[in-house]
Amino acid sequence: MNLTPDSKVLVQGITQPLASYHAARMKAYGTNLVAGVSAGQGGQELHGIPVFDLVEEARHQRGPFDATIIFVESYWVLDAALEAIEAGIPQIILVTGGIPPLDMVRLLRKAQITETLIVGPSSSGIIVPGKVLLGTQESNFYSPGSIGLISRAGTLTYEVALALTQAELGQSIGVNLGTDAIVGSSFHQWLRVLATDENTQAIVLVDQTGGGSEEETAQYIAKAIDKPVVAYVAGCHTPVDKQVGNASAIIAAQLSGPVTNASTAQHKVAAFKQAKVPVAERPSQIPDLVRKALKK
Amino acid sequence: MDLLEYQAKELFREIGIPVLPSQQIDHPRDLKRLKIPYPVVLKSQVPTGGRGKAGGIRFVENTIDAIAAARAIFNLPILGRYPQVLLAESRYDAEKEFFLAVILDYALGRPVLLGSSQGGIHVEAVIEHMQRVVVEQEFSPFYARRLALKMGLHGNLIESVSGILQKMYQLFVQKDLDLVEINPLAISSTGEVMALDGKITANDNALGRHSELATLVSTSADGNNNQQRVKSQLTELNWTDTEGNIGILCNGTCLAATTLDLIYQAKGKPASCLIVDGYASWDLQSVSSPVQQLQSALQQITEAKDIKVVLVNILSSAAASQEVAEVIANYLLSKVEKTPVLSAADQAERLTGVTSPSHREQSSGIGTLHRQSASVTEFPQFVIRVVGGEIDSTKERLAAIPVHWMDNLDKAVAKTISIAKSAVK
Repeated sequence: MNLTPDSKVLVQGITQPLASYHAARMKAYGTNLVAGVSAGQGGQELHGIPVFDLVEEARHQRGPFDATIIFVESYWVLDAALEAIEAGIPQIILVTGGIPPLDMVRLLRKAQITETLIVGPSSSGIIVPGKVLLGTQESNFYSPGSIGLISRAGTLTYEVALALTQAELGQSIGVNLGTDAIVGSSFHQWLRVLATDENTQAIVLVDQTGGGSEEETAQYIAKAIDKPVVAYVAGCHTPVDKQVGNASAIIAAQLSGPVTNASTAQHKVAAFKQAKVPVAERPSQIPDLVRKALKK
Repeated sequence: MDLLEYQAKELFREIGIPVLPSQQIDHPRDLKRLKIPYPVVLKSQVPTGGRGKAGGIRFVENTIDAIAAARAIFNLPILGRYPQVLLAESRYDAEKEFFLAVILDYALGRPVLLGSSQGGIHVEAVIEHMQRVVVEQEFSPFYARRLALKMGLHGNLIESVSGILQKMYQLFVQKDLDLVEINPLAISSTGEVMALDGKITANDNALGRHSELATLVSTSADGNNNQQRVKSQLTELNWTDTEGNIGILCNGTCLAATTLDLIYQAKGKPASCLIVDGYASWDLQSVSSPVQQLQSALQQITEAKDIKVVLVNILSSAAASQEVAEVIANYLLSKVEKTPVLSAADQAERLTGVTSPSHREQSSGIGTLHRQSASVTEFPQFVIRVVGGEIDSTKERLAAIPVHWMDNLDKAVAKTISIAKSAVK
């Protein structure tokens, strides 16, 4: 991760209403938003940001970029992201959600080769409180500090940020991994980033039911992360969507008859506890657990 | 979205996967015009497994038997679903049966090839012999051959089975599928391969760019699927036990899940949980309509029979909090004003309630509302949790209505529980 107020940022699909709205907010927050791309709209200016038809055009005049935020419609996200990778942009945030999963598969294969960091889809982005905002996060819940917040949840992230802020535990960064079934960067990747980030003293993970890499995440924390980590998992009472998960398990379940819904939230909690990662029962308990973990 | 067997086979035929001659039967009398020679198999077209065991597959030798069998199958529900269509298909003598599938593994973020040398209806055997190959990079036929070898195949079968897998993969990518499954893939004594049963799950997010699949589903007369496809923006959180008296309204599924967890932890019983779009920007109404969503959610939740208290938990910007407060206030006030039984005396009481806060909560407000609502429907109380925003004037407007404003989630949950419990007594 390499994000400072000087980082040069691009917005793809900038003339869409949602993008335009958030571009203005990001700029107001202090993000160095230097260009936008919107095919057919090149040549105009939006909130003082020059708009180009192509990423490579924007790059020639305003680049190179450190990150891009993609707001284009879901069926165009793959194309926009490939265009960004081609232009050598190392960090891509996908705000758009509901992207066809096979498009994500193609994108992730490509990103793996080029070592491009993908955040999202369905991500509200990244915030470094008081400094940079990349995406649609509501900045009012955050305050500057030294807690790294990584979340696989949507608005619940704000609940946790608010609890930390009210307990005077400011945040070094807030990363929203996105809520689509297949997302780019994982807890694992961001844990590795924050483990060596000198502004981060402790890490809070916010997860929800569904998906399934919790064992890997928990083991990785136990093995490789020296900083205190606290987890919270929502959805102990809501069953998981049967489609999400491991292929063999799905097939086995379908073959053996009707799929019985089982929540994986409890499973995640168990995996974290087994790796001796403190798990909060409710958002308001997170600050206490963080303080306790920091004292050790 | 699951396709029915005959729809899946249509796609198999197009891509060149061998399937038997077959005919779609919409009514038992269609069997009089059957074009395929007896003996045939009649198969119930329902989007669930376990058809064979349930009696949804019958072998018939002549027209009379076929019509009787078709009548029986049309009247046989399988896991609660009646078929709209049957498939009449030639019989096939298989020497061996395999299981093959291409499926998207969401945990890995990659497609996976699955194969079992023991296909058919004996589930345990299928699973026991299941082999797996992850398609890490761009697909190439060697992935399919790798699976064929793992399945223990030799000689010509390696080419013929991996050839089928390649076509399955092609279909998978071409149509944006979540799953393509053939079970069983029959192998005849001469080594010929034939897809005897097939299953295809299309990805809902990608349906918009596959009009041919969308049309298939809309004509399949499967009510449930259609409902899922035209899902309104208002989503509902599903869980098992919904026999409660608390309604929950949140922006965002995960926030709703947390709120539900907290209610359960405090021994409350939620009845319904509605979600308005979490990413919607409240002060950017041209893009989405969180206001309309919230309005319809309020209506739905106040009309639900057993709900005594509604917990609204909406976390967004300060401007959004103001908007949420306004929408709720307008909704509640419109409900109160519309109520015909509201007498002049009640009106006066409400007005005094505004000016004397201590008096208001215990008597006039709640009392008024209960009295008037008795003849319409029991109107639930509201606990509203929003953070920030200038909402004092809105609170004033609602002073006569039993609404509790909280900015702390734990306290909002505690208040909700205490109201829910007192309602039970």
